[in-house]
Amino acid sequence: MRWLALIWKSLLRSKRRTLLIVGSLMLSVFTVAVLQSLLTSLNSMTNNPNSSNRLAVRHKSGLTQMLPRSYEPYLRQQPEVETVCALQWFGGYYQDPRNFFANLAADETTIFQMFREEFGVSDITEAQIKDFQRDGAGCIVGEVLAKKNGWKVGDVVPLTGTIFPINPRLNIRIIYKSPRPSDENALYFHFKLLEEGVPRMKGLSGSFWVRLHRPEDIPRFVERVDRHYANSAYETLTETENAFNLGFVKMLGNIGAIIQGITLAVVVAILIVTGNTMATAIRERTTEIAVFRAMGFSSGRVLTLLLVEGMLLVAMGGMLGLLLALVAATGVRSTLGSLTPFLADFTILPDTILACLGGTLVVGLLATFIPAYAATRRPITDGLKAIG
Amino acid sequence: MDTPSISLGGGEPIIRLRDVAKSYWREELEIPVLQGIDLDIPVGAYIALMGPSGSGKTTLLNLIAGIDRPTGGSLEVCGSELNDLDDDELAGWRNGHVGFIFQNYNLVPVLTAFENVELPLLLTGAGRGERRDRVEQALGLVNLTDKLRSYPRQLSGGQEQRVAIARAIVTEPDLLVADEPTGALDAKNAEEVLGLMERLNSELGKTIVMVTHDPKAAHHARHQIHLEKGVFDRTVEVNR
Repeated sequence: MRWLALIWKSLLRSKRRTLLIVGSLMLSVFTVAVLQSLLTSLNSMTNNPNSSNRLAVRHKSGLTQMLPRSYEPYLRQQPEVETVCALQWFGGYYQDPRNFFANLAADETTIFQMFREEFGVSDITEAQIKDFQRDGAGCIVGEVLAKKNGWKVGDVVPLTGTIFPINPRLNIRIIYKSPRPSDENALYFHFKLLEEGVPRMKGLSGSFWVRLHRPEDIPRFVERVDRHYANSAYETLTETENAFNLGFVKMLGNIGAIIQGITLAVVVAILIVTGNTMATAIRERTTEIAVFRAMGFSSGRVLTLLLVEGMLLVAMGGMLGLLLALVAATGVRSTLGSLTPFLADFTILPDTILACLGGTLVVGLLATFIPAYAATRRPITDGLKAIG
Repeated sequence: MDTPSISLGGGEPIIRLRDVAKSYWREELEIPVLQGIDLDIPVGAYIALMGPSGSGKTTLLNLIAGIDRPTGGSLEVCGSELNDLDDDELAGWRNGHVGFIFQNYNLVPVLTAFENVELPLLLTGAGRGERRDRVEQALGLVNLTDKLRSYPRQLSGGQEQRVAIARAIVTEPDLLVADEPTGALDAKNAEEVLGLMERLNSELGKTIVMVTHDPKAAHHARHQIHLEKGVFDRTVEVNR
């Protein structure tokens, strides 16, 4: 018998209790890992590393208000600007209204320059781009979306409009692959198609996306544009792409605080449950601990054995919980990723894994140390209940 | 209080107690359990400590075994002055010098007989093979080589106590302390265990100090020491 065998046998002393505590830890770690990863995914929407020099210019009164396309030349003329792309949320659906994905009308001449990282432009040929630009009903779709619907280049995609009263039939010209799967759940078609189909959209756009040469120019540019259009009929609100996306996340409420609150509640609950279980388990072994010490096991050695046992118990629960979370993340990506864009990137990051494992071990340490320390400091004679 | 000192003679003492006292406190109230104990026990003795409940016999046994500390006096056991040892040193001393036999056996229920006996050897640094040899030898001495893989729940009370005895002797200690070793056994098993202890004393030369209420059990010892209210009452040499 080795030390680890001794610990393992002690751990399995009450199989039902061990199973229940491992199960509760597993579910708790699973919950925390999934919630934290959800938060990370939400935050990643507002923290796109490729968007550091991109801005959104929209109507100051809200997203439903339009801006004149005539603003475009002014924006383009600013010395900091690399390119400008008119972009309008179309909000159509394919076959089933529940089949949500992002579909937008975009300026076909500048979109590839604007979103070159997201579209993986280096993998797209010049001929493909020309094909798309020449075809007024052409569209480009992300690989995740194409795979989900079984689309391939050359297919016709009929969209049903919900905001605008048109049902465009679009020809897939390019299927792009993005570094982030969440960016692949989108479809873009020619802005002109929207303008021609919806007369009230003539000369208007919901937003302009602007790419600057250097991120350092952002404050100056923002200030100048918004000042330029101040007190006009179409006042502008210019903000970074991340800030623009954050606005959507904020529509969900202070979800970060809610998730952190739930996480804290789960951690406290599991600390109490684990602490109580370990205290009971150790109390039941008071005499046994006294016998170990009588045989010559020092208090420190007994404390170490109990701590390792407690840590092993929580580590098992923690690792199983993380494993479950990793499996669930794969499932979430493949099933919900196409419905909710930020879930397409849903993954349990190494940071989350480490934090969960670390947190689990801290919970185990705290939950075990107090009863174990008390047990090893108790006089041996008390443990043996042997005062003559 | 003037209390008689006891010296059993017969050579170099393995246990030498001088003016040993032990008190417990209940809030502010001091409850003396042992007072002015002087005791010399030679190597190879077999002592039965007797007396009514609360007379201090188990407390005296615990002091001799180094699992309790006196409030006064000195204890020299197996060549060590126990008052000079800190808790960790005392733990190491117990492992090397003392074997314990308890009334309720106190085997670890999740370990087999073999593993229970092996437990104290984990602290000795003995290799796996050496541990196996010594465990088998100890279980052989108590006639339980056929129960190596049995768990305590699969053993009778008498067998459990024999495993506990094997665990007590596996480190080859100089001193065995037993607290009511037959208290939980029927007459037949009690006789078997007492016979075994007698053999350990007579054949292997183990010094044994046993606490017991049972006159029949005490009759197996060479000497009976009676305590009354924390002091020695009388000593009786047993003619076996």
